[in-house]
Amino acid sequence: MAVETQPVSPALNQPAREEEEALREQLMFDPRPREELNRMVMESMYSTSPRYWVAVGVLTALVLVCLVGMWGYMIFTGIGIAGIRKPIYWGVFIVTFVFWIGISHAGTFVSAILRVFKAEFRRPFTRAAELMTTFGLAAGALYPLIHLGRVWVFYWMIPYPNARWLWPNFRSPLVWDFLAITTYLLSSTIYLYLPLLPDLAMARDRTQGWRHAVYKALALGWRGTEAEWFRLRKAINIFAFAIIPVMFSVHTIVSWDFAVGQVGGWNSTIFGPYFIIGAILSGVSAVITILVILRATLKHMDYFIRPEHLDALGKLVLVFSMAWAYFFFNDYLVSWYGGYEVTRRILTLHATGPTAWVWYCMLFFNVVIPWLTLWSRKIRRTPWAMFIITVLINVGMYFERYTIIPMTLGHQRFPFDWGEYSPRLPEISIAFGTLCLFILLYLLASRLIPLVPVWEVREGQEAHKVVKVGKTVVPSVSELE
Amino acid sequence: MSRRIIHLALFPEDALDQAAEALETLRGMGITDRDMTVISGTPFSEKMLGRPMAWTRISIIGIAGALMGFLTALFFNFGTPLLYPIRVGGMAYQTLPTSFVVFFELTMLGLLISTFLGVFVEMISPSFGPQGYDPRITDGHIGVLFWAPPELDPRLHEALTGLGAEIIHGAEAKKLWLF
Repeated sequence: MAVETQPVSPALNQPAREEEEALREQLMFDPRPREELNRMVMESMYSTSPRYWVAVGVLTALVLVCLVGMWGYMIFTGIGIAGIRKPIYWGVFIVTFVFWIGISHAGTFVSAILRVFKAEFRRPFTRAAELMTTFGLAAGALYPLIHLGRVWVFYWMIPYPNARWLWPNFRSPLVWDFLAITTYLLSSTIYLYLPLLPDLAMARDRTQGWRHAVYKALALGWRGTEAEWFRLRKAINIFAFAIIPVMFSVHTIVSWDFAVGQVGGWNSTIFGPYFIIGAILSGVSAVITILVILRATLKHMDYFIRPEHLDALGKLVLVFSMAWAYFFFNDYLVSWYGGYEVTRRILTLHATGPTAWVWYCMLFFNVVIPWLTLWSRKIRRTPWAMFIITVLINVGMYFERYTIIPMTLGHQRFPFDWGEYSPRLPEISIAFGTLCLFILLYLLASRLIPLVPVWEVREGQEAHKVVKVGKTVVPSVSELE
Repeated sequence: MSRRIIHLALFPEDALDQAAEALETLRGMGITDRDMTVISGTPFSEKMLGRPMAWTRISIIGIAGALMGFLTALFFNFGTPLLYPIRVGGMAYQTLPTSFVVFFELTMLGLLISTFLGVFVEMISPSFGPQGYDPRITDGHIGVLFWAPPELDPRLHEALTGLGAEIIHGAEAKKLWLF
């Protein structure tokens, strides 16, 4: 086939011109001068309405009351005010911990994996996803402390020879958790910061006063020399490749918190990949939710975040929903077929017990809704529809963790030790408080950090060209690196 | 030798070809690659500009950090049980499978943190190339920064302005670093 690659000329025929017009709907084929892109991103940071400050005020109050206040009250009175008690010692705190760790996977997935595979649609929203990882981990990392009850002895987790000459047991999954979350939190924060350097320099050059001083310090004297770009690319590449196995390890280790225990329903060899798939499903859905909100609330964001991005991420959600269903069924079928009495009883209880609605909602939100809706391109490109679908998926994923943890713990080997779990106000309040904390951190960051990696967008726009092939035009991407 | 002056030839965003040609012109006037730097708001590879490959120690620093992390994990996994023995009936005193987790996490932590420290140290280290900056760089302009003796001024002007550049003499970098 003879392929003619040349810039599109005005002499194109009508269908080719229409094709070219259609391509302009894509961000990469709708370039604007760098100066204008900078201005748009800076304006989105600066433009704050009174509604924004009301939201910040309300969220701050909620964080103080629901999270700080209630946690303080629980520390003062003791963890007995929570609903966890014999035989269910792991309740909403651990459910919410697993949920936030899962959410945090999206940043790495969207940014690192799509970067490694050179998926071009990632460019405008990698930072939004990376921020989600950092704040999700910050919210999740509170839970081991909250769950401790006696939080003032948290330092027993830190390896140093204490008065009793005891060290943390490095063969314990709880210590693995500590190591994995620390590693992931530090590396994902750095991974957020590195590609931010050129944008911080851009902000430095366009601001004055305290903002200028802050950006100047954070930009590390960035000028954009060849050596600086080379160094940055090298470091980002190392991070992109190295952080992927770290991401996998984090949620696998979280799953081992359960799987290595001799608890019916938990002792499963498939828990590692099952948790990872669930985390990615939950995380990518959360990215879509956030992108829809950013697009609707931030100035100029509709230029950067377009239906094509929701479309591409929607396809990913559909694929991961299918993968999640596969792992769920695999785990379910083998456990059920094995005929082990405890496991069978738990599985029956999930589907017929007093909290069976949680189990059915989980399946409905995680499987039925995405499968019925996300096959449609039109739905995938409709922001409000994607918002609803992705919020429901995350509700479903929360229910999945609820099913795995308290609903399973209540019916173990000894019938005299069975019990039901009802979360109490402190647990619900603290879980809600961390959600408010996450949103609050995001709101504040949206006014301090350029949420769109402008240089990456501009680089992508320079790499994309429309070329004429026969009687039509097609998109073409050059390898600029 | 006469005193060298820093010049900055600023090209518009879409004039990458002209910037590459300007570098060639400067070489033709006897200015070496060591005395030139390209600064830009968007990354351009060395090949695009016909420049020698840049060099960094980040990979080596990263590997050294990974090794440090591995050694720390070795100490945690096998050193601490010897220093502070906890004997639990039926459990292996030192075990490989569970140690892999600690090895992996600490090795990766060492790699990633040291990679970042490598970037940080190289960023704040003194640079020996021509220093200079213009805020228009982050607005997409491409800057060719170079040292040249004053006697070359007329020829430089003619050649670079002919390529569409705006010349800024003595483009000393504003204080871009906090300290």
